[in-house]
Amino acid sequence: MKNHLLCLLFLLAGSITLVAQQRVTGNVTGSDGFPLIGVTVAEEGKANGAVTDIDGNFTIEVSEGASLVFSYTGYGTQTILVGDQTNLAVRLEEGVALDEVVVTALGIEKDKKALAYSVTEVGGENFSQARAMNVIQSLSGKVAGVNVASTATGAGGSTRVVIRGNSSISGNNQPLYVVDGVPIDNTNLGSAGMWGGQDWGDGISSLNPDDIESYTILKGNSAAALYGFRASNGVILITTKSGTNRKGLGVEFNSQVRTETVNNFLDFQDQYGHGRRGVKPTTQEEAFANGLYAWGGRLDGSSVMQFDGTSRPYSDVGDNLDRFYRTGVTYSNTLALTGGNQDYNFRFSGSALNNNDVVPNSGLDRYTFTMKTNANFGEKFTSTIGITYVNESVNNRPRLSDSPGNSNYTVWSLPASINVDDLKGPGDKLGANADGVELQFNDNVFVTNPWWGAHQFKANSTKNRLIGNVQLRYDIGYGLYARGRIGLDRYNQRRTNLTPYGTAYSNFGGMDEQNNEFSELNTELILGYDKDITQDIGLNIFVGGNQLRNKREVLGGSGGNFSVPFLHTLNNLANRSTIYNFSEWQNNSVFGSAEIALKNAIYLTGTIRSDWFSTLTNADGTSDNNKLYYSVGASAVLSDLISMPKEVTYAKLRVAYGEVGGVGAAETPYLLGLTYGIFGQGHSGNALGGINNGSIPNEGLTPLTSTEFEIGFDFRLFNNRLGADLAFYNRQTKNDILNAAVSPTSGYGSKVVNIGRMENVGFELLLFGTPVRTTNFTWDVSLNFSQNNNEVVSLLTETQEDEESIRVAESRTRNAYIHHVEGLPYSQIMGFAFQRDGSGNILLDDNGLPLQGDFMPFGTGVHPTSFGINNSFTYKNVTLSFLIDSKFGGQIYAATNAYAYFRGLHQNTLEGREGGIGPVANTDIEDYYGRIAFGISEEFIEDADFVKLRELVLSYSIPKSMLGDLPFESISLGVAGRNLWLISSAVDNIDPESTYSAGNGQGLEMFGVPQTRSLQFNLGVRF
Amino acid sequence: MKFSKYLLILAACMLTYTSCDNGFEELNVNPTAANEIDPNFQMSWVQLRTSGGRYENWRAGLIYSSMMVQHMAAVCGYWTGDKYTYNAGYSSSLFDRAYSEQVKDVQDLINTLQQGEVGDQTMLGMARIWRVVIFHRLTDLYGDIPYSEAGKGFLEGIDFPKYDAQSAIYADMLNELEQAIGQLSTGGFGGSDLIYGGDIDKWKKFGNSLMLRLAMRMSEVDAGAAQSWASKAISGGVMTSNDDIAFLQHTNGPEGVNMNGIGEVLDKSNGFGDDCPRLSNTLVDWMLATGDPRLDILGELPADGSGAHNGLPNGLDETTIQDNPTGTSTDNFDRVNSTLVSVATPMVFQTYAEVELMLAEAAERGWSSGNAADHYNNGVRAAMQQYSIYDGGLAVDDAAVDDYLANNPYDGELSSIGWQYWAATFLNEYEAYANWRRTGYPTLTPTNHPSNVTNGTIPVRMVYPQGELGLNPNFEEALSRQNLGSDFASMLKVPVWWDK
Repeated sequence: MKNHLLCLLFLLAGSITLVAQQRVTGNVTGSDGFPLIGVTVAEEGKANGAVTDIDGNFTIEVSEGASLVFSYTGYGTQTILVGDQTNLAVRLEEGVALDEVVVTALGIEKDKKALAYSVTEVGGENFSQARAMNVIQSLSGKVAGVNVASTATGAGGSTRVVIRGNSSISGNNQPLYVVDGVPIDNTNLGSAGMWGGQDWGDGISSLNPDDIESYTILKGNSAAALYGFRASNGVILITTKSGTNRKGLGVEFNSQVRTETVNNFLDFQDQYGHGRRGVKPTTQEEAFANGLYAWGGRLDGSSVMQFDGTSRPYSDVGDNLDRFYRTGVTYSNTLALTGGNQDYNFRFSGSALNNNDVVPNSGLDRYTFTMKTNANFGEKFTSTIGITYVNESVNNRPRLSDSPGNSNYTVWSLPASINVDDLKGPGDKLGANADGVELQFNDNVFVTNPWWGAHQFKANSTKNRLIGNVQLRYDIGYGLYARGRIGLDRYNQRRTNLTPYGTAYSNFGGMDEQNNEFSELNTELILGYDKDITQDIGLNIFVGGNQLRNKREVLGGSGGNFSVPFLHTLNNLANRSTIYNFSEWQNNSVFGSAEIALKNAIYLTGTIRSDWFSTLTNADGTSDNNKLYYSVGASAVLSDLISMPKEVTYAKLRVAYGEVGGVGAAETPYLLGLTYGIFGQGHSGNALGGINNGSIPNEGLTPLTSTEFEIGFDFRLFNNRLGADLAFYNRQTKNDILNAAVSPTSGYGSKVVNIGRMENVGFELLLFGTPVRTTNFTWDVSLNFSQNNNEVVSLLTETQEDEESIRVAESRTRNAYIHHVEGLPYSQIMGFAFQRDGSGNILLDDNGLPLQGDFMPFGTGVHPTSFGINNSFTYKNVTLSFLIDSKFGGQIYAATNAYAYFRGLHQNTLEGREGGIGPVANTDIEDYYGRIAFGISEEFIEDADFVKLRELVLSYSIPKSMLGDLPFESISLGVAGRNLWLISSAVDNIDPESTYSAGNGQGLEMFGVPQTRSLQFNLGVRF
Repeated sequence: MKFSKYLLILAACMLTYTSCDNGFEELNVNPTAANEIDPNFQMSWVQLRTSGGRYENWRAGLIYSSMMVQHMAAVCGYWTGDKYTYNAGYSSSLFDRAYSEQVKDVQDLINTLQQGEVGDQTMLGMARIWRVVIFHRLTDLYGDIPYSEAGKGFLEGIDFPKYDAQSAIYADMLNELEQAIGQLSTGGFGGSDLIYGGDIDKWKKFGNSLMLRLAMRMSEVDAGAAQSWASKAISGGVMTSNDDIAFLQHTNGPEGVNMNGIGEVLDKSNGFGDDCPRLSNTLVDWMLATGDPRLDILGELPADGSGAHNGLPNGLDETTIQDNPTGTSTDNFDRVNSTLVSVATPMVFQTYAEVELMLAEAAERGWSSGNAADHYNNGVRAAMQQYSIYDGGLAVDDAAVDDYLANNPYDGELSSIGWQYWAATFLNEYEAYANWRRTGYPTLTPTNHPSNVTNGTIPVRMVYPQGELGLNPNFEEALSRQNLGSDFASMLKVPVWWDK
């Protein structure tokens, strides 16, 4: 580590050189004479540039004899020789050509028109204006084919991003994130399952939105093919901001305050109070035993006994969620310093994000420092060095799903007659009795007092992360160049997970302290050739290699029973054990790419990559550990080849095919054989040893293969006033490595297998236009639509018996599951239907209770259809935009509603309370609903379709004229809201986006942290 | 620097192509695990896991079995066993845990020992006997279960084991016992055997006693086989004193696996302390009526200070206890003696008392030449005196037993043997539940809680995990073979094969 840092610092220091400069100022306008904001002004052949301000002005220091290149989306690029001019007036012509340059795989820049595949760029401001706690949530609804699923797991939680549908049956389906050329880890460090737990966060949430210039989304196999075995889920390339060639030191300050409140969709019955069998409790014991059931008498305001021996009015106490959850507040502040000349530039930023979450006593603090430099050493040698350090502390990651310690579970489950404030207890210690132990309010020790859960439990983490990269490039001449790059992502997460002394289900408590270390080092070397051979033929070729070394280590201690009451330290545990896990793997690859350009209008491209996996290498080296991946593609700029009507500004047709791999077990070592562990500390002096594997190992594994055919059409009309980008793709995944559920009676829960095939066929449409553009007013619309039809084609392999479905997740109700089922889309919610007769009537048993019927699939937990529309209105310096985000076609199993049936909270359970239902007496009505709760899953599976007003942004930029002599370059102000309005949803009581896991097995909900609506105030100042 | 090393390797790989997986064989060996395990370590592990964790001891053991046989009673809603409601997770808990935590390793251990590299036939015999301990509990509770193909996911690649008929499982387990006992000679596990510390003679007695248990289990369904296996067991030599009791001594940590699973549920001094259960009035009243000295051992006088043992009637909840004439608060009733349910107590698999009572039954049935009364008296004495394995202070002297037997002499009735067997298996609830179902003794009065799903009858089996449905293709055949229907709750009413 030390060496790596020293190395980076050395290079940083060495790259600071000063060369004599010439200062050029100027103004850029469009053909209509209005200033253009954000035009890139770059010195040709140098890593030196500037951007025009709101009035179209720019300032740049250039070397003698320099040429400046002016480029702007939708406008033709102009190159101007500076000579001895010091002030330039530049007019750019609209839509003459689209020489947009985009970053592609491995950071290679290409003309957009040369691409044979779909690439979408999203500017960084899209992630900073209406912020989400996890930066990548802001992608939701903005890019066709990118599905962002928010989880109900609190401020430090994870987000699930899936591009073009899930292609791995139960391996990783999330894209690879690459920041300035360095793959960064996005592993979910732990999520809740059926038995509860917390979301320990993912990797992408470390990034500070203020540092990001742009996101480039490589959706398909062809676009990502050079990433080989990590390409099958697509790649998101993130480019951070650089310094600019400017006079003096540039200072930028961005500040936001955001408030969040829970979106409370609970609408439980408020007519009957705590108790069972229609009876109001009369003794403390009875009230205590029945404290979690709303099967009591009709709320009549009479004085009725409660769990603590106090009688209180038997009436609806009102909204307990409002009492328990607080208004979350987040402050985020970023200060950035930039500077540079034509040979050297830098950007340094420091930012602080301080959050108090809506769940009491829970929150997050994140500090980010980042430094990036670009430098030229003479004519041929350039370097880019970036370092980012992130320190993140999360206080009390909320417990989720099953009840122990999950405050949401309890707050949501209180009968209408119980006030959550009465559970606070007598003293200052929330949720505790006078003697300091948990104040129980019901006889089920596992349903924890919510105040105790929020304030006395701990699930804290501190993460330190260093992401660094050094890139050196040498232009050999004659179009040849060499590039070397080293990228490091290294972090540790230190966790404390405490069940405090005095907890009802664990009277003496317990704790777990863990340190998770992660590192990944990528070393890459490329040799390339990029030259126009003749006027009509251009070549862009490179070959290279990469070595990836990945290591994880977990070291910790855990145990139970604190000897000294309330002294919560490992040293005070009566029973202690150590935790140690280690894994390491390596991947080596060689790759090459070639692109031939004909007349700058027809492009033919091909890539190839060979990957070797340590994870698939068995002890004697006889297993097949090598895979070859490739892609081919062609694109034709029709508007340059054939004469088109003048309304057509640009038209391009593209077609591509790629065969790539997926991570899954390619990144999981030690899967090939059976191993034994030594467990615990023995028993009475005897060592304990047994099988480690919970999954049946398999020596013959091969990596997953994904093939995709893609065809696209890209056109712009009326001088770019209207444009569309269409893509159609067909992706087939085969030989997925996964843990297929086997019968537990085999001794194992699952088996590692290469299993089956999955298909994703989809359509993406991006439509954008400017319906109105006048001197002072512009209206921009951007609409994206995607439809992904997924099918699990076959779960059959040569070595397997034919399996019709495999299980990937189970609900705590033990009554609903997620299966992948042959012939149906991924992630089917499986459960029991009502038993019905021929005409659809529900059949009852002798006691009048509904009979469990078929065990069957009820639809996928993943939405196949998504639709987003963004409108943006600009009047002079004011911009108003709003994003409507919607998804359709997915289902959700709401375990919250199952428990609400069981406990008599759900509105539906009002039926029969007075007169009974059929032969079920009114006093036994809880048995009727209890049978449905844990017997009939069908009742709780609902369409999870939604339409949301996802973002609303109002921003104002103070005109420079008004700033006068003030020392500001610009000041902008803004107000933004997120999740302000759930316009449409069919799910009872919960937000349709409430899954508790970012993993596979989507579609299960249970007592998560409620989704929030947020309101944010922005201030941005530049000096 | 490390970088330059990586760069060199990378360059070599790019140039030569063949060296791109150098060192991968070594890298892919897990440095934190072993590729082979000492059978001694694995035997200790399997025995400890068979004794079980809190999970299944709580659910299948206490909440269901102990309450169904009316050893215990509780008013808490989730103690479903005397209200005859169906809780899927509780009901399937032993099935859920046993295959992955017990069967997998015992099959692997037997496989290792059969490979012959260890060459210790005594170890193999002991492991095979232990396998029967695991499987007979499972089949007694669940009926037809995966047996011959179970736990072989890695060894034989069987992902979805078939369900064997209970009759076939019994036949095979008895053969297994006979062969395994024959393998016990010299060697063995020594101190790694947590039951007998490697004592081979005791293992032989245990093997035969287990054979006697399985034989008697078939008394109602196949009396011929039952008699012949019982004779074989008796002539082979069964347990002869309380020194032969098969139990595992647990310790207070250091980790959960070391603790007694029942203790983890009920031991209040260790921080868990589910305070729901009380002694059932069925047990307390019977002991009071017969002047049983065990009552002071099994129960703790009520917390209300009444000074008199009082059992809680089964089938009450927090509401109906208000109208209960013998007490309206749980403080009015006996808790289980905390000495018996600490985390550091023995877990009992089979006792000498049970064996003597089975011998009494065999004699009464005319299956053996012994004297039923003698065996009965031996059994009662052993049962009363067996608590000294928990704590020396719980010893019952011979005079007290003599008094008891004088006041309650053997009456030649199988029901009397059944009552004593039931009392002797307190805290071995799986066995108490199985023997009650076979013999029908003691005659228990079912409760009639409004939420029951059994038409007011005591459940006669535990229900499989619902997860097998739609997963294991052999499951539905097992359901139809046993006429279990498709409604899981209703399955509680269907007896297993040997329960006629």
